[in-house]
Amino acid sequence: MGVLITPAMVGQVVISGLLAGSIYAMVALGLGLIFGVMRVLNVAHGPLMMLGAYTTFWLFQRFGLNPYLSILLSMPLLFLVGLGLQRFLVRRVVDAPELSSLLLTFGVSIALVNLAQLAFTSDLRSVEYLTGSFVVGPFALSKPRLAACAFAVAITVASFVFLRLTRLGKAIRAVSQSREVAQVCGIDVQRIHLLAFGLGSALAAAGGSLVAVMVAIQPEMGQVYTFKSFLVIVLGGAGNYPGALLGGLLLGLVEQLSSLFLTAQVNEAVAYVLLVLVLLIRPTGLLKGRV
Amino acid sequence: MRRWFPAALLLLAVGLALYPLEATGYGLRVGLQLFMWIALAQSWNLISGLTGYVSFGHVVFFGTGAYASSLLVVKAGLPWPAACLGGGLAGAVLALIIGWPCLRLKGPYFAIAMLGLNEVMRVIVSYYEGLTGGGNGLSLPTLDASRSIYYAMGLVAAAVTAVTYAIVTSRFGLRLMTIREDEVAAEAMGIDTLRYKLYAFTLSAIGPGIVGGLSARDQGYIEPISVFPLIMTITMIVMALFGGKGTIWGPVLGAVVLFVFQEAVWARFVYLHQLLFGAIIVAVVLMMPRGILGVLQQKYNLPRTI
Amino acid sequence: MAAILPPILEVRSAVKRFGGVAAVNGVSLALEPGRIYGLIGPNGSGKTTLFNCITGVDHVDEGEILLKGRRVDRLKPHQIFHLGVGRTFQVIRVFPELTAMENLLVVTTSGYAEARRRAQELLALVKLERLADEFAGNLSYGQQKLVEFIRVLMTDPELILLDEPAAGVNRTLLNELLDAVRRLRDQGKTVLLVEHDMKVVMGLCETVFVLDHGEKLAEGAPGVIQADERVIEAYFGR
Repeated sequence: MGVLITPAMVGQVVISGLLAGSIYAMVALGLGLIFGVMRVLNVAHGPLMMLGAYTTFWLFQRFGLNPYLSILLSMPLLFLVGLGLQRFLVRRVVDAPELSSLLLTFGVSIALVNLAQLAFTSDLRSVEYLTGSFVVGPFALSKPRLAACAFAVAITVASFVFLRLTRLGKAIRAVSQSREVAQVCGIDVQRIHLLAFGLGSALAAAGGSLVAVMVAIQPEMGQVYTFKSFLVIVLGGAGNYPGALLGGLLLGLVEQLSSLFLTAQVNEAVAYVLLVLVLLIRPTGLLKGRV
Repeated sequence: MRRWFPAALLLLAVGLALYPLEATGYGLRVGLQLFMWIALAQSWNLISGLTGYVSFGHVVFFGTGAYASSLLVVKAGLPWPAACLGGGLAGAVLALIIGWPCLRLKGPYFAIAMLGLNEVMRVIVSYYEGLTGGGNGLSLPTLDASRSIYYAMGLVAAAVTAVTYAIVTSRFGLRLMTIREDEVAAEAMGIDTLRYKLYAFTLSAIGPGIVGGLSARDQGYIEPISVFPLIMTITMIVMALFGGKGTIWGPVLGAVVLFVFQEAVWARFVYLHQLLFGAIIVAVVLMMPRGILGVLQQKYNLPRTI
Repeated sequence: MAAILPPILEVRSAVKRFGGVAAVNGVSLALEPGRIYGLIGPNGSGKTTLFNCITGVDHVDEGEILLKGRRVDRLKPHQIFHLGVGRTFQVIRVFPELTAMENLLVVTTSGYAEARRRAQELLALVKLERLADEFAGNLSYGQQKLVEFIRVLMTDPELILLDEPAAGVNRTLLNELLDAVRRLRDQGKTVLLVEHDMKVVMGLCETVFVLDHGEKLAEGAPGVIQADERVIEAYFGR
């Protein structure tokens, strides 16, 4: 392993890390919304993302729809799916002990993955739309990654504008802080729960649509994102929405940086080691959240 | 009620012990696997049913046990019974290592940590290719020991059930349950919840570890994908949930019922089968969270020793 | 006047923040053994937070908490429990799927037979013997309150913290509870209770601390506190 590591390599890795991290951040924000508002850990988050990816694939396959435009369809579609899941399933365990909602979303995730297996088979699919890279100085910027990052940033910024400035967004933040107080202030908590789950699902879908152009699409593709989204939430602090951004970028950076030193196989475990470290040292997250 | 139960149990035990004399190779396999599932579901119950800390990666102890015991047989030449006990020990050690940091926190965080554990173990196995054969798998010397393994699996299933009984009827078990009921209050009442969770977690890893070793011995060959499959965790969970988590016989009931269905009907349609398991989990959580035995317990005011 | 004994509990300039708000802001108090103390204050004044900090459920950001002269502010709740502190909660926290008897047994580490005997003793004290094998979740509010109360007594703690013992309890039961508290004091135990019911506080406590907005406003005998203008203002004014 006597590879010389040049500044250019580090720079490349930092850029790749930030590009990848922006998607982690967006998808994790979705998970964070659900957890922050309802204290439900949505184990089905990855499968929701997978459904977004398939939506983009089929629209591209059947109608030749530009994958980046398909986000306009995959997000609302999965928003509705999320609404349905919350309304008919999750709502009934929001007040139950935590293990109920964990098991429920676990069951949903298994069901979704296997529904996809039955409907789409496990054949690997891909969306060949954008390939190649821009070369800027010593750095190669992968075009699909750049585009994905641009959209992820746009969607995330829009989400934050929504959370900060609109009435509904403020209501979501209020319920995240204290359900009882929000209720007393006249906020319809049930509606906010529905909204949060729908939005969370939509964000996952957006992530799926964006990575559809870059990775192989198959029913199990979402699992790793579920875990990484959890990790980002832990990193950034539960219930801390800006924290999800920081956590996502950090994860992207750490993964890319460690790829300089570790083999590809071992690199997969980096996220996990990071999780255990954070849980041990600073479980409330880098920016304080609520455990 | 109390009187005929032990007698019936004894009769059943005798029947099961004599079964291999009449059974075909396939029949023996079925029996052996049933015992395995009982041991697995019951072990999952020890941590998740009693303390309420959901373990999503429990198959990791099965796989670890499989590899540890296989390595002991292949590299160290140990006889398989001892090697399998070594597998159990390996599972326990792993549980201690993982549990010590991860059980400090509340349920959801523990669940997250367990979710990713599978991946890590697969990576570790692949990394130490020289030792474990990596993706190529590990072969064990050929041996026809189905009957012995049948008995061994049966012993483990019985042992785990007996341990569960001992725990549930003791103050140790009560303390575990308080963690499930109200962890903050439990701490305030002087219960060192971390220590108790660690005990339960470690105990819950021994069964899968031994059983993993036995299964590996039976198959004669293991590879990462075969001993760390997600479907195994799913199946363990469904069985325990369906029969009744937190009860003694619930996981046994769930294992028997769902295993029969699995063998007879679903195993032919893999994805449908898994989909149904997912749906059952959802249905049980929504409609009978305490499982069949739990519902019966409530309805007929049965004692906790069911 | 009796000799002044070293305090069993001392809180020195405790500060506890949540986000930007200081729920407890520089509170100091000292409890002498063998007396009944009250902790009052308007809602949100930091009483339960202070309780949580004393019992280890939360940790103070600044300041110290000493139990019998020993620092306990960094200890876990179960460690503090074993140092001789017992508490009840504002919202009853019995273990619903354990029976009343089991709720009591779970708490002690002494031998099973001895624990059982003591549990039966305590259950008889509050006249709940016949409900010993009933699931705590099935008991009435008042019965659960009693179980939570005697659960605290199982290990014979020296310092007992009661969080709103009178809440939702009828007069008869309340009087029994208050008598039990007085008996505890007579046995040399120290009791600190958070309470909103002024009659209870005035009739039971020897010294009262008043918290407002996380700070200690006043401290003294009930009669004095009642007449203190600042206290009146905190409750009714502003």
